[in-house]
Amino acid sequence: MIQGLIVGLVQGGTYGLIALGLVLCYRGSRVLNFAQAEIGTASLFIAWIVVGAWHHPYWMGALAAIVSALVIGLLFERLIVRRMETASRLTVAVATIGLFGFLVAVEAYANGPTPRYLPPPIKGLGPQIAGVYVSWTQILTYAVIAVVALGLTFFLRRTDFGLGVLASAQDATAARLVGIPQNRVSMFTWGVAAVLSALAALLIEPTITLIAPNTIGPQLFLGGLAAALLGGLTSLSGALVGGLLVGVLSAEATQLAPNGVAGVYTVVLFAIVIGVLLLRPQGLLGRPPARAESA
Amino acid sequence: MSAAGIVDAGRQPAAAPHATQRRALLTPRRSNILLVLLGAILLPSVTYRAMPLLPSRYPLALAVATSIAVGALSLNLLVGYAGQISLGHGALLGVGAYAAGLASSGAGLPMWLALPIAALVSGLIALIIGFPALRLRGLYLAIVTVTFGFAMYNFVLQWNAFTGGSSGVSLVRRLWGKTIITSQADMLSAGLVVLVLAWLLDSNVTRSKLGRAFRAIRESEPVAGSFGVDVSRYKLLAFVLSGALAGVAGALYGFTLYLVNSETFNPPVGVDYSLLLLIIVVVGGLGSRAGAVIAAFVFSLFEFIIGDRFGSDSIIYGLVPILGSLMLMLTVARHPDGMAGMLRERRHRRRRRAAAADDGDHAMPALPSMPRPETAARPLAMERSLPVLEVESVSMRFGGLVAVDGASLRVDRGEIVGLIGPNGAGKTTLFNCISGLLRPDGGTVRFSGRDVSALSAHERAGLGLSRTFQQIGLAKDQSILENMLLAQHVLAGYGSSSALLYTAGVARSEDEMRARAVQAIAALGFGGREDVPVRLLSGGQQRIVEVACALLTDPELLMLDEPSAGMAPVMAESLADRLRDLRDSMGRTVLLIEHNVPLVLDVCDRVYVLTAGRVLAGGTPDEILAHPEVVNAYLGEAVA
Repeated sequence: MIQGLIVGLVQGGTYGLIALGLVLCYRGSRVLNFAQAEIGTASLFIAWIVVGAWHHPYWMGALAAIVSALVIGLLFERLIVRRMETASRLTVAVATIGLFGFLVAVEAYANGPTPRYLPPPIKGLGPQIAGVYVSWTQILTYAVIAVVALGLTFFLRRTDFGLGVLASAQDATAARLVGIPQNRVSMFTWGVAAVLSALAALLIEPTITLIAPNTIGPQLFLGGLAAALLGGLTSLSGALVGGLLVGVLSAEATQLAPNGVAGVYTVVLFAIVIGVLLLRPQGLLGRPPARAESA
Repeated sequence: MSAAGIVDAGRQPAAAPHATQRRALLTPRRSNILLVLLGAILLPSVTYRAMPLLPSRYPLALAVATSIAVGALSLNLLVGYAGQISLGHGALLGVGAYAAGLASSGAGLPMWLALPIAALVSGLIALIIGFPALRLRGLYLAIVTVTFGFAMYNFVLQWNAFTGGSSGVSLVRRLWGKTIITSQADMLSAGLVVLVLAWLLDSNVTRSKLGRAFRAIRESEPVAGSFGVDVSRYKLLAFVLSGALAGVAGALYGFTLYLVNSETFNPPVGVDYSLLLLIIVVVGGLGSRAGAVIAAFVFSLFEFIIGDRFGSDSIIYGLVPILGSLMLMLTVARHPDGMAGMLRERRHRRRRRAAAADDGDHAMPALPSMPRPETAARPLAMERSLPVLEVESVSMRFGGLVAVDGASLRVDRGEIVGLIGPNGAGKTTLFNCISGLLRPDGGTVRFSGRDVSALSAHERAGLGLSRTFQQIGLAKDQSILENMLLAQHVLAGYGSSSALLYTAGVARSEDEMRARAVQAIAALGFGGREDVPVRLLSGGQQRIVEVACALLTDPELLMLDEPSAGMAPVMAESLADRLRDLRDSMGRTVLLIEHNVPLVLDVCDRVYVLTAGRVLAGGTPDEILAHPEVVNAYLGEAVA
C-alpha cells in the first residue's frame, strides 16, 4: 500500500509533467501533441550515450537529454507547426503523430532492440518512512516536480510574457492585436513542453530501469494523456493533480494484481479515460467544453 | 418586385419522369462490377497456375497488401470522410483476426462466415469504445483509441487463456466441407473479392446521405447539425463502419498468414499497424478511395520488396518506418490533400476560372420556392393557429458573462420579424439558443406550440426550423450541388442500412433530391457550375446558396443571421425585395438579424431591439422608431 503510494507518486509526478506539456500545447496551439512523451524518451538515448558510452557524470547526460529534447521541440515548432498555422487542427495532430512515429523509428534504427541502462541520479536507499525505504532518487523526483510546477505557475501568472502566453491561449487573434508576439509564444510553449518531456523521461527511467524503443514512451504518454484528460485538458493544476491520481491508481493496481499478470495499469488507464469521458468530460478542474457558436 | 420573379421550380414537370424511371436489371455500373469481381477471382489463380515460373512469394505479398488495402479503406472512411482520428486501428484489426481465428479454428466455421463475424465483433468493440468519445467535439476518439490499443497489446493479448498469448490463434481457410484454400494465389483471389466488396460498400457510403453527413461533420459540426444531421450518431456510425471494415481487414490478414498473435499488428520491429494505416491514408490522400488503395499496395509491396531483397534485419529495411513517418509529417505540412489531392488540384484550377468568370456585382436572384416532396412527410402536425416561435425568458451565461438575460419574443406565421441591437447585444447567442446550438441556462423555446427546449439542433432542424450563419453555414470545401443535397438530409427517406446497399429506394430518393437541387441551382443562375466548391464563390454568392439551401426543406421558420454580411452593395440592395418575396409570394415565416437598420425597418412586420442580452423594446417599425429609449440607446441621430 505505502510502497504503491511511493512508486505511484513518482510515476504520477512524471505523468503530471507530461500532462503539463500536453496542456501547454493544447492551450497554446490547440493541438494535442501525440509526440509529447516520445521527445523526452528519444533524448534518453542521448543521455545514455553521454553517461553509458562516454562515461561522463549523470548530470551531463541529463543536461544533454534536456538540450536535445529542446532542439527537437523547437525544430518541430519551426518546421511543421508554424507552417500549419492556418491548417485544420486535425492535420496538425496528425503531424505530431508523424513525429512520434519518426522518433520511435529513429530510436529503433539507431539503437536496435538492445536495452540500455542509466545509473540512478543519486545512489543509496535514503530515509525510511512508515516502514518503507524511500530512495534519494525518489526524493529528488518529488523535489524536481514541485519546483517545476511552482516555477511554471509563477512564470505564467506573474510575468508579462507568461501572462501573454495565457492570453494567447484564450484568444490568439486578440493577443496578437495587443502586441503579444505569437511566434515567440508558440516557440515558448513547444520548447517548454519538450523540456518537460525530457524531465519526465529522466525521472521515470529509474523506476522502469531500462531504455529501449517502445518501453518508456508509450507508458509515459498514455499516463500523461489520462492525467491531462482527468485534469480537464486545459487546466495546468488539473494536469498535475490528475498525474498524481493516475500514477497512484496504476501503481496500486499493479501491486494488487496477481503475480504474472502484466499490464494491469494499461487497463486502469483505459478505464480512467472512459470514465472521465462518460462522467465528467470537462475533467476535475477544467472548464466545461465550449461549444463553438459560429460556423 | 412582383411575384413573377419567383421561380416556382416545384411546378415544373421536368423532374417527375426522371425520378420514376425504371432501372434496368443490368445497368452499365452493375455489369462493370461483375467484370471486376470475375477478374479478381480468376486473374491471380489462373495466372499463377498457368505460369509456375512467376516468383512464388508474390501472391503472399499481394494478399497481405490486399488486406492492408481493406484496412486503409476502413481508416479512410473514418479520418478522410468524417474527420475523426483513430490511433487504435491496429488493435481493431487484431480483434477481427482473433474473432476470425476463434470462429474458424475454434468453432470450425468456414472462412466466408468468419469474415462477417470478424466485422461484427470489431464493429461492436468500436461501438462500445466510440460511444463515450464521440458524444463530444474534439480529439477524444484519438485519446480513447490510442489507450484502447495500448491496453489491448499489453493486457488482453497477453492473456494466455483466451487469446493464446504470444503463440496466438490459428486461422483455418475452410471454404466449405473439407475444401480448404491452400495456395496463396487463391487466397489472393479471395482477398481481392473482399476488397472489391469493401470498395462498393464504401462508394455506397460516399454517394448517399451517409457520406454527405460525414463530410459535413468533418468541415463543421454546427453546420451539419443545422442541416438536421445527428452529429454524434453519424460520427459513431462512421467509427462502427470503420471498425467493422478493420475487423475484416484483420481477419483477411490473419487468414493470409494462417496465424495471429500479440505481435501481429504491433510488431517489435517495423511500423505499428495503427501508424502504418494512418501514413497510407494521409499520404494517399485523405478521403480518396483510390488513393488509399493504391498507397496501401505501394507501401506494403515496397516494404516487402525491400525486406525480400535486403533481409528484414538490414539497415535499409529499418529506414522504411523512418521514411513513412517523415512522409506523414511532410504530407500534412506541405500537401494536406495527399497524392490524390495533388492530382485533383489541376481540375480545381479550371473550376476556379469558371467560378471567377461570373463574379460581378449582381442583384440577388429570385429564390426558388421548393415545395416539400410528397414522399417526405412532415414529422409533426403543425398547429397552424399557434405562433411559429415563442421564446420565453431565455438566459445564457458564459462563465461570468451574461450574454442573454431573460429574453422573450414571438414570431407569428407569415411575418418577418427583425432582431436588431448593437454588437455584443446577444443576438447571435439568442439565435443559437433558438436553433438548439446552445442549451440556454433558463427559459423555454416553443416551436409551433411544442416545447423544443430539450431538443438538439438537428432535431429542431428536422421539425422545420432552418437557419443560416453569419459566417456562411455551408460545407465550403464541397460543391454547390453537394451542399444542396446535404441541405435535404432530413428529406432523404431511407435508413443507414439501405444506404449501405444502395437499394432501389435509395436510388429513387437520391434522384429526387438531385433533381430538386439541380432545379434550385439553375433557378439561382448557377447552372453549369454545380461542381464548383462553395469556397470559390464570392461572399454574396455563398449567401445566396446558403439561403437557398435553408429553403430546400420547406421550413416552417427561416432564421437568417445577418444575410447582408459579405454581400456587395448592389446585391444587398435587392435583399429587401427577396425578403418580401419570401413572405408575400412564398408564405414563409422569417426571423432576421440584421445590422442594416433601414432595411429591417423597411421590410419587417415587427422588430425586437436587444441590448446587453435584454429585449429593450418590441413592436412595429413605427413603434420602434417612436420609442425614446431605443432612439437614445441604439439608433442614434442617424435615423432620428
